[in-house]
Amino acid sequence: MDSLLATLKTVIDALGPTVLLPIVIFFIALILGAKPARAFRAGVTIGIAFIGINLVIGLMFTSLSGVAQAIVKNTGLHRDIIDVGWPSAAAIAFGSSVGLWVIPIGIVVNVVLLLGGVTRTLNVDVWNFWHFAFVGSLLVAATGSLADGLIAAGLMAGLALLFADWSAKAVQEFYEVPGVSVPHLASAQILPVAIAVNWLIEKTPGLRAIQMDTSSIQKRFGVFGEPMILGLIIGIILGLIGFYNAGNASVVTQKVLSTGIDLAAVMVLLPRMVKILMEGLIPVSDAAQQFVRKRSGDREIFVGLDSAILIGHPAAIASSLILVPIAILMSIVLPGNRVILFADLAVIPFVVALAAPVCRGNVFRMIIVGIVTLAFGFYIAGALAPLFTDAARAAHFAIPKNASLITSIVDGFMWVPFVVVMLVRTLGMGGLAIVLMMIAGSYALFIRNRAVWERAAGASVAAEAELAVATSKVRAAE
Amino acid sequence: MKRKTILVACGTAVATSTVVASAIEEAMQERGISIILRQCKATELPSLAADADVIVSTTPVPDGLGKPVIKGLPFLTGIGKAATLDQIEAALRD
Repeated sequence: MDSLLATLKTVIDALGPTVLLPIVIFFIALILGAKPARAFRAGVTIGIAFIGINLVIGLMFTSLSGVAQAIVKNTGLHRDIIDVGWPSAAAIAFGSSVGLWVIPIGIVVNVVLLLGGVTRTLNVDVWNFWHFAFVGSLLVAATGSLADGLIAAGLMAGLALLFADWSAKAVQEFYEVPGVSVPHLASAQILPVAIAVNWLIEKTPGLRAIQMDTSSIQKRFGVFGEPMILGLIIGIILGLIGFYNAGNASVVTQKVLSTGIDLAAVMVLLPRMVKILMEGLIPVSDAAQQFVRKRSGDREIFVGLDSAILIGHPAAIASSLILVPIAILMSIVLPGNRVILFADLAVIPFVVALAAPVCRGNVFRMIIVGIVTLAFGFYIAGALAPLFTDAARAAHFAIPKNASLITSIVDGFMWVPFVVVMLVRTLGMGGLAIVLMMIAGSYALFIRNRAVWERAAGASVAAEAELAVATSKVRAAE
Repeated sequence: MKRKTILVACGTAVATSTVVASAIEEAMQERGISIILRQCKATELPSLAADADVIVSTTPVPDGLGKPVIKGLPFLTGIGKAATLDQIEAALRD
C-alpha cells in the first residue's frame, strides 16, 4: 500500500497540478454523475486557474521579496516570512498530492458520519475541502508519507463537521440562517479560544461592561475593507520602510509607489484567479451535493456552507476592520515574530466570525479574542512556515530557492494544523491515532451534552424553541 | 430592455458569490434576460452599489445602499431557489 502511494506521489509530483488536476477533476465529476461536457470544461478551467494563480504569485513574490529583504537590511527586524494569502494556500492544498483525493475522502467521511447518526451536517461546501487538504499537504511535507496526509485530511473532514454541529444552533440564531451550519475549519477553530476568552472577560469587572458601536467603526475604518486600497496603503508603507534610503528622491518615489501599485494589483488579481478555480469546481460540487443528498435520505440535516455567508454581519466587519491595524502593529512589536502580514489582512473577518455568537456580537470582546488568536498565530506561522513553503514547492509553485519563507493567516496561523503536525512529527502514526481519539472523544462528549456545548458556542435557551418553529416553517413553505 | 447589472456579494467575492453568480447567469439565460454580472466583497458594497441595478448577497449587507437587495442564500441551500430567481427577474424588469 505504502509503495503504491509512494509511486502515485512521484507521478503526481512530476505532472503538477496544471496537468494532473484537470484529469482528476474530470473523472471525479464523471463518477459523481456530472455530464461529460461539463466535467471536461470543469477540468480544463481548473488547469487554467492554476496557471493564473502562479502568475500572480510570481508578481507578488518579486515585489514582496525585494521589500522584505530591504526591510531586514534597513531596520534589522527579522521579518522574512511573507503572508501570501489564503488564495495561495488553497491553490497549494488543491495542487498537492493530498488535494487530488480530498474531494472523495471528504464526501465519504461525511456520508459515513451522517448515516451513522454522528453528525447532522451535510457539508456541501466542497470548495473548502481545501482546508483538509492543506493540513494533509503539510504532513506530507513533514513526513514524506502520502498515507499520513490522506488520513489527516479525512480526520479534518470529521473535525469540521464536529465544529459545524457544535456551532450550528448559535450560528442559525445569531446570523439568522435557519437550517445552516458552517463546517469551515479556518473559521471554526476560534470557537474554543472565544469561549475561554469570553469567560475570562465575563469574570473581570470593568472589562465585562465595555461595548463598541459598530456603525461608526465601519465609517471610520471602511478603507480597511477594500482590498485594493488596503494593498496600496500597505505597499506604500512597506515601500517607505524598505526603500527610504534607496537613492535620490526620484528613485525612492518610484520604488515606493511601484511597490504600492504592485501590491494593490495582487490584492485584486489573486482572488480573481482563485475565482476561476472556484468556477471549475462548481460542476463537481453540484454533482457531489446531488450524490450525497441521494444517499442521506430524508433525515433532518443542516446544510453546511462556507463561512463567507457570515462575513457581512456588522459585528464581523467592525471587529475585523479594527483588527487590521492591530495585526500590523503586532507583526512589528511581537518579539521573535518573523511574519510580514499582507495578503490575508483581507480575510480577518473569517477568523473572528464564529466568535460573534459566543460574544453575543460584542465587538470589543471579538477584538480581544482576535488579538489572542493572532498572537498565537504569529508563532504558529513561524513554526509551520518551512513546511508551508515545502508544500508550495511540491505543488509546483514557483518559489525561488533561498527566497523568503511563506505563510498565510488562513490556515498558516491556525492551531489545528499546528497541533496535528506536531503530534505526527513526534509520534508518527501514533500522533494520527491521538488526533482520531481526540475528535471521537469530543464528539462523544458533545452528543451526550449537546445543549451545554451549544450554549457555550453562543446559542440561547429560549431561541431554540423559536428556531425549531422557524425551521419547520421554512420546510413547510417548500 | 437595457442590459442591467447584478452585483453579487459575499465575504470574499470568490467562493459563495461565484456559485450564486453562475446560477443566476444560467437561469437568466434560460429566461431570455441578458445581464451583466459582477462580484464583490460585502465590505466593497458601499462603493460599488452605485454601478449596479440589483444586489444579490449571501451575507448581511449594510443599510442604505439605495438598490434592491435580494438574499442569495437559497442558491447555496437549494431551498427556495426558484422563488428567489423570480424575485430577481421582477427586480430586473422594474
